[in-house]
Amino acid sequence: MTQNVINVKDNDVAGSINEFLKHLLSSGKIQALLVQQSTPSKKVAFPVLISDPKRLHARVIAPVLPTATASIVSKMTKIQASPKPIGIVMRACQIRAVLELVKLNQANLTNIVLIGVDCPGTFPLNTYANFPEKTRPTPFLLETLTKKTDEAEKYLRTACKVCKDPIPENADIIIGLYGMDLEKNVLIQAGTQTGKSLLDDLKLEENQDAVKHREHAVKETREAKNKRREAFIKDKGAIKGIEKLTEFFDKCVNCHNCRQACPICYCKECLFDSSVFDQEAYKFLRKAETKGLFKLPNDSVLFHLGRMNHMILSCVQCGLCEQACPNEIPLMDVFIPVAESAQKTFAYHPGKDLKEKIPMIVYREDEFTEVGEK
Amino acid sequence: MSEEQKEKKEAFEPKIVGFLCNWCSYAGADLAGTSRIQYPPNVRIIRVMCSGSVDSMYILRALLEGADGVFVGGCHPGDCHYIDGNYKARRRMVLLENVLETLGLEKERVWLRWISASEGQKFADTMKEMTERIRKLGPNPIAKQWNL
Repeated sequence: MTQNVINVKDNDVAGSINEFLKHLLSSGKIQALLVQQSTPSKKVAFPVLISDPKRLHARVIAPVLPTATASIVSKMTKIQASPKPIGIVMRACQIRAVLELVKLNQANLTNIVLIGVDCPGTFPLNTYANFPEKTRPTPFLLETLTKKTDEAEKYLRTACKVCKDPIPENADIIIGLYGMDLEKNVLIQAGTQTGKSLLDDLKLEENQDAVKHREHAVKETREAKNKRREAFIKDKGAIKGIEKLTEFFDKCVNCHNCRQACPICYCKECLFDSSVFDQEAYKFLRKAETKGLFKLPNDSVLFHLGRMNHMILSCVQCGLCEQACPNEIPLMDVFIPVAESAQKTFAYHPGKDLKEKIPMIVYREDEFTEVGEK
Repeated sequence: MSEEQKEKKEAFEPKIVGFLCNWCSYAGADLAGTSRIQYPPNVRIIRVMCSGSVDSMYILRALLEGADGVFVGGCHPGDCHYIDGNYKARRRMVLLENVLETLGLEKERVWLRWISASEGQKFADTMKEMTERIRKLGPNPIAKQWNL
């Protein structure tokens, strides 16, 4: 597909991307943009739905992901598809999540232009808000990206350190950073016909020379991330057995924030919000008598294992569950190894292809015949 | 192994929770009963409309509450009253087993078997087999955990 570039002025990558988005929004081809923008306090950047190009100050690559953008798209489109085109700027993990939500009938991509942006990783919300170089975490991150140092590494969220794929696929337009000389150019690439016709109207510059390292860098980045994931999974393999598991979830207070933050957990009524677990006093007493004692509130391990069984095949490993945990339980240590293994069993790749059906709604008669016939 | 431990082990009677589908396995268990076929009384049967309706949460809850084994019985593949419920139950079981294995929990405690309404003998045999297998495995270690 078409590969265009935009020029970076005064070393300001974020500003140049902002100019491009302004250009796109003022072209009238899209009615509004959903894009991350700093709050007035500049402490954090949240997605805003913006229709006035003059007020656009996008912080597309601000290294923070406060909530799941995919859930916002679901909120905006599940009752009715958008009547007019909206451009939505998303990171790769959120594009994967939104595709899963479409499969689950929770989002509708009619009239949605997905603008994917290469993700250099994000910091935990609080780290970003209290960052020492207060106003400049983005240039700091980009600098380490260009120089290929790991300086920013220590600030990144675990999910980002071992990201499945930071380069967006399935986007109409891709804003590319990897493999580009960020002092000069940022890549603007059309991923689909919709994206191409939008970009053609903008008449962007074509520069074959500027994109020559792109393909190699993308491959290299993916390989490096994969290697890191494998090491991570091997390392976390130690969390095995009920004793280790209860220890792992020790700090869980049953607030269920992880479920709230998860883009895949869309159920309106979660079993754990129901009155199923409210029981007559004698049942509590009977359990205390049988076991001698038990912790309250109970069922926190059941909650995590149950939720895991419900959503793990669609898990896009964005790590928002971990970020949402008030007691800093490193949920990815458990969720990434489980997700990898489960998804491999069903040869399923969440968020990769809309045509790939969610494993729990399809079956083949001649599969897994060893289960049930021993 | 001391005498006392040995005795304790011999005295261990596994508690098994069985989810049986209304149309096949439950009728199979019923047939075993009406035909007066003997089988171990270790299984506590819960009738469900379809093996496909057994959510992994049911199985996990039984295990975490300390059941020594969980049995799910469904119609033979192709015979489901609801056309394909048992195929879905099978996929769900594959997922559950995989999750349990990754987390180092004993997937051997969870069984899925196909038992038709005419297979009273097979139901009794399966119950015998499962009870013995779980007896060998010993009590569910989760039962001892109080901080779940």
